[in-house]
Amino acid sequence: MSPYAKYIIGKAKWYALTFFIAILLNFLLPRLMPGNPISSIVARMATGGAPSDVLKKLYTSYIQEFGLDKPLYVQFFYYIVKVLHGDLGTSFSLYPTKVNEILAGALPWTIALQVPSILVGWIVGNLLGAVAAYKKGKFDSIIFPLSLFINCIPYYCLAIILLYLLGVVLNVFPIGGGYSMGLMPSFSIAFFVDALRHYFLPFLSIVLVTIGGQAIGMREMSIYELNTDYVNYSKSLGISEGKIVRYVFKNAMLPQISGLAISLGTMVGGALITEIVFSYPGIGTWLFNAIRQQDYPLIQGGTLLIAIGVLTANFLIDIVYGIVDPRIKASQLEE
Amino acid sequence: MKKLLVVKGLKAYYQIGPEENVKAVDDVSLTLYEGEVLGIAGESGCGKSTLARSLSGLFLPPLRHISGEVLLDGVDITKIDERRLRKEVLGKKISFIPQSSMNALNPTLRIRNFVVDLMREHNPELLEEEVLRRAEERFDSLSLSKKVLDSYPFELSGGMRQRTLVAVSTLMNPDIVVADEPTSALDVTSQRQVIELLAVMIERKIMKSLIFITHELPILGQIADRIAIMYAGQIIEIGTLSQVIFASSHPYTKTLMSSMIVPEEGMRERELPSVPGSPPDLRHPPNGCRFAQRCPQATDECRANDIKLRRFQGRLVRCIHPLKVEREL
Amino acid sequence: MLSSRSPTEMVGFLYEAPSQRHLLGTDNFGRDVLVELIYGIRTSIFVGLVSGIIATIVGTTIGTVAGFAGKWVDGVLNSLTNLFLVIPSFVILILLAVSLRQRSLVLIAVVIAVTSWPWTARAVRAQTSSLKTREHINMARLNGKGSFEIMLTEILPYMFSYIFMVFVLQVAGGILNEAGLSMLGLGPENTISLGIMLSWALNFEAVRTGAWWAFVPPVFSIAIITFSLYLVNIGMDEIFNPRLRKQG
Repeated sequence: MSPYAKYIIGKAKWYALTFFIAILLNFLLPRLMPGNPISSIVARMATGGAPSDVLKKLYTSYIQEFGLDKPLYVQFFYYIVKVLHGDLGTSFSLYPTKVNEILAGALPWTIALQVPSILVGWIVGNLLGAVAAYKKGKFDSIIFPLSLFINCIPYYCLAIILLYLLGVVLNVFPIGGGYSMGLMPSFSIAFFVDALRHYFLPFLSIVLVTIGGQAIGMREMSIYELNTDYVNYSKSLGISEGKIVRYVFKNAMLPQISGLAISLGTMVGGALITEIVFSYPGIGTWLFNAIRQQDYPLIQGGTLLIAIGVLTANFLIDIVYGIVDPRIKASQLEE
Repeated sequence: MKKLLVVKGLKAYYQIGPEENVKAVDDVSLTLYEGEVLGIAGESGCGKSTLARSLSGLFLPPLRHISGEVLLDGVDITKIDERRLRKEVLGKKISFIPQSSMNALNPTLRIRNFVVDLMREHNPELLEEEVLRRAEERFDSLSLSKKVLDSYPFELSGGMRQRTLVAVSTLMNPDIVVADEPTSALDVTSQRQVIELLAVMIERKIMKSLIFITHELPILGQIADRIAIMYAGQIIEIGTLSQVIFASSHPYTKTLMSSMIVPEEGMRERELPSVPGSPPDLRHPPNGCRFAQRCPQATDECRANDIKLRRFQGRLVRCIHPLKVEREL
Repeated sequence: MLSSRSPTEMVGFLYEAPSQRHLLGTDNFGRDVLVELIYGIRTSIFVGLVSGIIATIVGTTIGTVAGFAGKWVDGVLNSLTNLFLVIPSFVILILLAVSLRQRSLVLIAVVIAVTSWPWTARAVRAQTSSLKTREHINMARLNGKGSFEIMLTEILPYMFSYIFMVFVLQVAGGILNEAGLSMLGLGPENTISLGIMLSWALNFEAVRTGAWWAFVPPVFSIAIITFSLYLVNIGMDEIFNPRLRKQG
């Protein structure tokens, strides 16, 4: 079996385990807390003035769906079966809408926002860091502290500032939502343009902070690579600066790719909170609403979706890394 | 004999602070003749590696060329611009073999891709297939398997890596090869293979002359024609192999040799035997003879003024009280 | 501390602009923002410190044992650490915080620590593994010292500076995580923190009405505190690991 195949299979096994643990934790953690979650929820809802037959329906449906009257491992079994069928339960706050429906509507918005913004931030950030390391001097002395500072601002903090400056003060961009009120989502150009206007500020906040973090990392890796022995050897044989620069940056990129996998979880989390700032109709905002209304099925559905999403992205990055770094195949040969 | 490389009064310092310099190469003069192997030996920190780097005219920061000339075919390569240096000198006329650290070769590049980059840098008209053909031929003739070309550096053992470095550095048949501690990190068998490889290449005239830098004197005994001993940034004795090793004139050389068992093939010293005391700080070298602090026969005259290299009994010595040799060898 | 006034005292109208009486104006409840800010900084730092201390103790223990013991103990602990590193901490934070009956300050700090110990554990494990091979460890073993004693007296002291650096980062992380939780509405109850100030500003229309004094101070404070902690970390790195940097 080729070393690369061994590597992929090894990773797949590992991720299968983590998927399972994620589902287990998603199921278990809320239930570890003392007390019957459902009655306290129902009790709270009763003070909110919902009609009692709705409450009764909620109560019985929850008990049935999740088998709360049965032992924990049976409940878990029910849960796994449901999840594998893609059934994440029924929402409390929007009863009888299914959680899947809600999340399925929100997911495209989140992906449309996060994937491009993180990618753009990653690419631009790495470029800046590389150039700063290479050029040194004035460029570096500006970029370095600036990136360091921006890196310390959480996505959503920058989002609030941008919202205020560009949305309220300068009134260049809309201050919330995914699209203007009164417009219905459609595949028309008009809607697309309108959505883009609403998209821009959240996009910008995520991009800027990501640039900060990536620039710092890439700069450090580049400085390290620029001072290695192979650079000196190549120079001593007369290889051109341009070629050497290419060597250096390719090698400096590699840890940045694996670094992306490591920080992806935090990035996604921050990006989701950014959605809240803009009331952007993605999973973040829905999660926030669900938390506010103690809609447990929706909360759990959301966290599970996020966990699976991040783990999948991690797996994909690992696959890409295995292709790009030849040393991975070497370590497989040793085993 | 034809002079290939003439070094006159070379000074190269590392600038480590606004006013602070490490005077690693401080007034070095030597001549390299065609067809010879010149060994340069000294303890660590004496400046021999810096000298090695300076000989190719490439001064990478923080190393700076202060003064002095390096004449190659009559041209002072410390004065020509970097582009000319790259295109005409480096790799072609003078090549460099580094110590085989893990990182001497780009870890993510196959050897053959590096070779292609290297050869096409100097001969852009060559096609990739042609480059690889020549490389395979050369590797083969040096008893290096063609598989090495397809490998990544981490797939090669230490000895293989060093021999690959030797092969790659000499692909363009440079006139002069400067080898900086090429055997230091290797086991005895690999050492022997590398030295044999270098000897074969000289024999076949793949390169004309070799400068071999090391801190292990016995190695030089196997390959060198002449030896220069370096101390605290200066050459303190240059002579033939037998002169320097068996009839040393400079007190430093003498102390080194006399505390060593006569070098035989296969024997290795870990490091040059220790002489009490330590070399001067190269940031502030003392006036006068730099070895005076540790020298058993130093006089006030030694410490007063800087000492120059002088002819003495058929060799050059930087000492005003050189040790007389009873018989000429 | 700096102010003897209670932060929850209503002292003015809603969202009054800064004035001489209230240097940072009032918030949506009519409270003095400057007083709230001081209180909030204190709270956030408290959460950061507590979560940092817990995470550091747990992470150091697990990391040291894993690095020192090796073999299957290391295998198990390392897998455990990696699991928690890969599964997004964001998710675990929410799941835990949402289930808490009471979200007290300390409990929130504990929840944050539960998700951040793996970082410390991984770093400490690497250090311990490399320290394990040193001479003095073998000497200690020959002298009959038990494993536990060795870990305590021979390994930990060498890692102090390193552990402290990691601790500083953990505190910064704790402050950021608390802010994140508060933005989600899962922050500590009945108290004021920087994150809570931010979530109030957002949910009570401070941004839209242009009451910048309600959110710019907390944002600025979070950024400055985190930035300073990172600088401390970099500074300590320079001191403890001086690197020969080539100039030019």
